[in-house]
Amino acid sequence: MATTPRGGGTAQRPNGASQNKICQFKLVLLGESAVGKSSLVLRFVKGQFHEYQESTIGAAFLTQTLCIDDTAVKFEIWDTAGQERYHSLAPMYYRGAQAAIVVYDIQNQDSFQRAKTWVKELQRQASPNIVIALAGNKADLSNSRVVEYEEAKQYAEENGLLFMETSAKTAMNVNDIFLAIAKKLPKNDGAGNQGSGQGRRLAEVEQNRQTNNCCK
Amino acid sequence: MANSKFSDVDEYGFQRPEDFDYLVYEKFMSSYLKVLTERQIRWETLKRKNTDFSKLTRTLKRYIRKGIPTSYRTEVWMKVSGAYQNQQQSPDLYSNLLRAQFDRDTVEAIKIDLPRTFPDNIHFETKKRQLFNVLIAYAHHNRDVGYCQGLNYIAGLLLIVTQKEEPTFWLLKMIVEKIVPSYHTKRMTNLIRDLAVLKELIKLKVPEVNNHIENLGLPYTVIASKWFVCLFAEVLPTETVLRIWDCVFAEGYKILFRVGITLIVAHRNVILQADDISVLAELFRNEIIKGEIATDCHNFMKNIFKVPGNLKRRDLERLRLICIDRTNC
Ligand SMILES: Nc1nc2c(ncn2[C@@H]2O[C@H](COP(=O)(O)OP(=O)(O)OP(=O)(O)O)[C@@H](O)[C@H]2O)c(=O)[nH]1
Ligand SMILES: [Mg+2]
Repeated sequence: MATTPRGGGTAQRPNGASQNKICQFKLVLLGESAVGKSSLVLRFVKGQFHEYQESTIGAAFLTQTLCIDDTAVKFEIWDTAGQERYHSLAPMYYRGAQAAIVVYDIQNQDSFQRAKTWVKELQRQASPNIVIALAGNKADLSNSRVVEYEEAKQYAEENGLLFMETSAKTAMNVNDIFLAIAKKLPKNDGAGNQGSGQGRRLAEVEQNRQTNNCCK
Repeated sequence: MANSKFSDVDEYGFQRPEDFDYLVYEKFMSSYLKVLTERQIRWETLKRKNTDFSKLTRTLKRYIRKGIPTSYRTEVWMKVSGAYQNQQQSPDLYSNLLRAQFDRDTVEAIKIDLPRTFPDNIHFETKKRQLFNVLIAYAHHNRDVGYCQGLNYIAGLLLIVTQKEEPTFWLLKMIVEKIVPSYHTKRMTNLIRDLAVLKELIKLKVPEVNNHIENLGLPYTVIASKWFVCLFAEVLPTETVLRIWDCVFAEGYKILFRVGITLIVAHRNVILQADDISVLAELFRNEIIKGEIATDCHNFMKNIFKVPGNLKRRDLERLRLICIDRTNC
């Protein structure tokens, strides 16, 4: 059993004797309002679910660390607001991101179309090596599903995306989708790797941030 | 009024969170109750003198900064902001708006947010219909804005104070169109501009704090979007928000910058001690907006007029021009 989600928001180094690498990745969540982006993050980071999760205004930032074998993978998670008008702010979150989860609600066809638009935008505008996962959320409500599993699966394959149906409510596939992303991300040895799409060492990430966050 | 020291529901019907700090709150309340009683008496005198609340005299401004008693709040907000006068000029506007055919997508968007608005408020279940009416009426009245997420919290809190749809509608209109225009429109131009202005102000007043925030990499859009979009509703403790709104309706947008600067400056040390972006983000999610400083609203309101120092409208407008140029390119 190689995966251990860690609680808390702090950046302590995961303990455990065999840990010898720590990789840090920037991950952004995109998708229409109310598809469950914040709920997926809350489930992944705190193991909780709120029936009445408040809408995200602007964006939220959280972190969570997964351990894969001897590597601690720390996700810096940028959870964006889904309402269309907040999209002018979105590029500053996906710029420089090494991973993205594009979320739709399996009960809502429009949200699936919107997810496809996000995927296109990421393929055009984000880093070329970005790992994109598609999440069909609210899978616990599959009796009111309108987006078929096979349809989404096929779309994901054609576009080289990871794909899972998830439920923030039951926790189904929530850790798994983050883990699948973590596994797909390049985890070169810490020192000196600069290439885009790489997990970078903390100090380098700090430096790069200053160029990433200027107001646009 | 504010006398629920030992209840797990506050005076506005909000369930207190499980980690609510009753000790801090009790300490604050024991002195704040005296303040409230005193203010009530003062305002009664003011009222007996037939004071015109639509004229912001020096006395009225001073009184408002010290807090409007609950029983006078709706009337004073309406008059001092000009919302009342607007309502007098178009007395049928609101009811006419509610008679129109509603746009389906807008109805959908609002309905998604209804159960998500103040689920922890015990009175709010019965106010959902009123909230829907105000939001849908406003969305049709102002097509540039339509429905913007965040307005649910503003209108929701206005409803809790005024108890009625019409004043809620007119006060909402005042906020969205006059106090913070183009924060809630489809492109949110002025929101983005004012976030950049806040950053400039922090840079000016406490450069080391701005440096630290920048170095850790937490953008001001994450820190303060909700502050501005919701005018601190659903951000700060309710009583503090209402005290802020007292001044906002009287004095305008400058108050929002004063509050933002004060929150950051008053927490200068803990911010500088945060050695990691996640620690910093957590501070802004919790201590800074829910801690002792934000809870002690009376002291806090004194501080917003001291801590940021001089904040001239002219300087702010100049900064706004610079920032709008920068955000446009
Ligand atoms: N049944 C079920 N409900 C869910 C699930 N995920 C989220 N929800 C509910 O859907 C609603 C919206 O969830 P959020 O997490 O706020 O959605 P969001 O995508 O972050 O929305 P915005 O912040 O507005 O963009 C909330 O009421 C959640 O409780 C799920 O997997 N199953
Ligand atoms: Mg959200």
